[in-house]
Amino acid sequence: MMMLLLPHREEEEEGGAAGRRRFPINDNADLLAEVLGRLDGRSLAVAGCVCRLWSAVGRREAVWEAVCHRHVAVGRAGAAGGTRSVVAALGGYRRLYRLCIGPALDRLAGVRRQGPAVSSSSSAARHVSLSLALSLFSIDCYERLGGVGGRQQQPPASLLFLCKPVDVS
Amino acid sequence: MKREHPEGLLGGGDWYGAPVEAAKQGKGKAMMGVEAGAEDEDVDELLAALGYKVRSSDMADVAQKLEQAEMAMGSGVAASDDAFLSHLAADTVHYNPSDISTWVDNILSELNAPPPPLPSLPLRFDAPSPVDRQNRFLDLPPSVSKQSTSATELPLVTRRTPAEVYELKPVPALPAARAPVRLAYGSDFQLDVAPSPRDSKRIKFCSSPPSSSSSTTDAATSAAPPLPVVVVDTQEVGIRLVHALLACAEAVQQENLKASDTLVKQISVLAASQGGAMRKVAGYFAEAVARRIYRPLPRGVVGCSSFDSVSFDDMLHMHFYESCPYLKFAHFTANQAILEAFAGCRRVHVVDFGMRQGLQWPALLQALALRPGGPPSFRLTGIGPPQPDNSDALQEVGWKLAQLAETICVDFHYRGFVASSLADLEPYMLLGQDTDDRGGADNDEPEAVAVNSVLELHQLLARPGVLEKVLRTVHKVRPRIVTVVEQEANHNRGTFQERFTEALHYYSTMFDSLEGGPGVAAADSAGGRDRAMSEVYLGRQICNVVACEGAERTERHETLDQWRGRMTGAGFESVPIGSNAFKQASMLLALFAGGDGYRVEEKEGCLTLGWHTRPLIAASAWRVAADPLSARGT
Repeated sequence: MMMLLLPHREEEEEGGAAGRRRFPINDNADLLAEVLGRLDGRSLAVAGCVCRLWSAVGRREAVWEAVCHRHVAVGRAGAAGGTRSVVAALGGYRRLYRLCIGPALDRLAGVRRQGPAVSSSSSAARHVSLSLALSLFSIDCYERLGGVGGRQQQPPASLLFLCKPVDVS
Repeated sequence: MKREHPEGLLGGGDWYGAPVEAAKQGKGKAMMGVEAGAEDEDVDELLAALGYKVRSSDMADVAQKLEQAEMAMGSGVAASDDAFLSHLAADTVHYNPSDISTWVDNILSELNAPPPPLPSLPLRFDAPSPVDRQNRFLDLPPSVSKQSTSATELPLVTRRTPAEVYELKPVPALPAARAPVRLAYGSDFQLDVAPSPRDSKRIKFCSSPPSSSSSTTDAATSAAPPLPVVVVDTQEVGIRLVHALLACAEAVQQENLKASDTLVKQISVLAASQGGAMRKVAGYFAEAVARRIYRPLPRGVVGCSSFDSVSFDDMLHMHFYESCPYLKFAHFTANQAILEAFAGCRRVHVVDFGMRQGLQWPALLQALALRPGGPPSFRLTGIGPPQPDNSDALQEVGWKLAQLAETICVDFHYRGFVASSLADLEPYMLLGQDTDDRGGADNDEPEAVAVNSVLELHQLLARPGVLEKVLRTVHKVRPRIVTVVEQEANHNRGTFQERFTEALHYYSTMFDSLEGGPGVAAADSAGGRDRAMSEVYLGRQICNVVACEGAERTERHETLDQWRGRMTGAGFESVPIGSNAFKQASMLLALFAGGDGYRVEEKEGCLTLGWHTRPLIAASAWRVAADPLSARGT
């Protein structure tokens, strides 16, 4: 899929492909943003390693906002603008994905991978909702706030339960 | 022939299930486990390919018998092994090995008589236990961990006095229905047991009733065995451990200090050989009983711990919050109820009876910020205990919340109250401060008040009348909603022994859930540290429930029904918690590494979260009951 997005040189135009215009994607950052916004989180992060332009575009909040919305169930038809400002205040969509939505999706995928033997009683809950992700995100943001006078705080740990356990055996 | 993993053939956790159905269902379960074709033909195809002739209808029986045979052959001290196996090999006559059914029968008849049919099982115990106790044990969920003894499977309590039991003499002779000599099968009793109606994917715990293993001593004394065989079983030790704990409780109840002293020492020894949840639970209970017996002079240590400080308690609470979903479930459910109650209100006020680190409120702030119609004006009153080191933790928490509220543009006001007991609260402290500079436009709209109590109310039961006073105070504030989250257990009524048994059951399930499923963190990671601290947190509760009495015993948990009675008696009516909260709770649980062990259930409008079938924490919502006779408003 990504190969199709690599900038084509004008000279490589196929003979006989009359009327087919090609253009380098790197010339149009907004179009690139649109395309990148349709990736999943991991691919988007990988895409950010391609070149500086892709890295810059791949960090745009709008792109990550599209990614987040694509992967969560938006329960309420809340004001999108309101959500945007709250998420921006709490740290941004990229951070939201990295801390909450990404690990949650990984965890759910891991559960699904364990196969159909998994009980069906809780199968209704096999997706992440935006409100839940935002709640967890807000708790994490709150934990990172400094106290009065900047007293030494414990490292924020409320999202540890989402992390993969590290096997140190 | 391919032998199924034992767990596949075995029944479910309640191995004292109705004996009548046991045999039928056991076979049915074995049938499911065995990899048999579903054909109606006489001979099983798959095995026929290997050269064996077994009828499909006989498959279950054959499988069972093979299990038994293998258990008998595989278990045994080395000395007797050779003799026995060579006897089997040389002296027994086997006809037609391809007919597995009769071949196995042959083998088994060389061993002793097969285990007696289950209906005689209850006869093995000296006296039948009361039916309700048996029923309670029937509900125990099996442990997830296969290695450690299930902490949640308790045997029927015998009525022998503790001193008798633990003089270590051989168990008195068993009823004649049993064969005089038998091999102690490690775990094959499970074959005949009714399968649990619950998920078959759960790892089943094999355990044998205590007397089957104690029957080995019979084997030594009786006349005509082929061989006595002793099975040393960690599972057997686990059963004895639980047995010892319960007997110890009985001894303490009867004030038989000498016996209870002996038993406490035995418990420590037995516990050391266990692993996992059972060892920890037994350790905490043993320590608590020891404290009770050798009680230091009263003037109580809070929570029976030398670490009396509130900040240590808060720190443990944090770790408990991080390592398991109970508190998160409590917060999220209460927040959802509060959010729904505040729909449409422009001024809201939340009173939190246990502020601690204020972890419940960022999520509510965020939800209020995003609600359709915009955020209301939000006031929070936090109540906390006095800090010993003069630091103003309440104020710090308020400051952090204010920072957060400012970033998400919610109008936020905070007030902290330091109170050593909730009974010190008066309604005027909680009611709206109309002298606030809130802007004239909103002043005529009354504030919507919510009162939130997470694991706080049960402590008030330690002294009489205190809870009633607090509930009266709450009633006077006329809140829109009162959210109450409490442990779902009965640790407050009944005798010491009943309380001990209940607590053993409850905390065993808790510890099991901490051990969790396969995805749980390793012991030396941050997650493992969280778990260790959570265990200490629970251990302090155990200590308080078991060792303290009177005003010191603050962990007076009561069940949801008991709380329901108290709340309705105080003039509140139940507000059903909506399906949104249920869905959110299910989603939250799906994210926890413990996997499908956690269960959210809805019970008459209240939500409970539990481990497998045992609810452990219950969240409910209340409002002031409409009283047509009352003419005045406060």
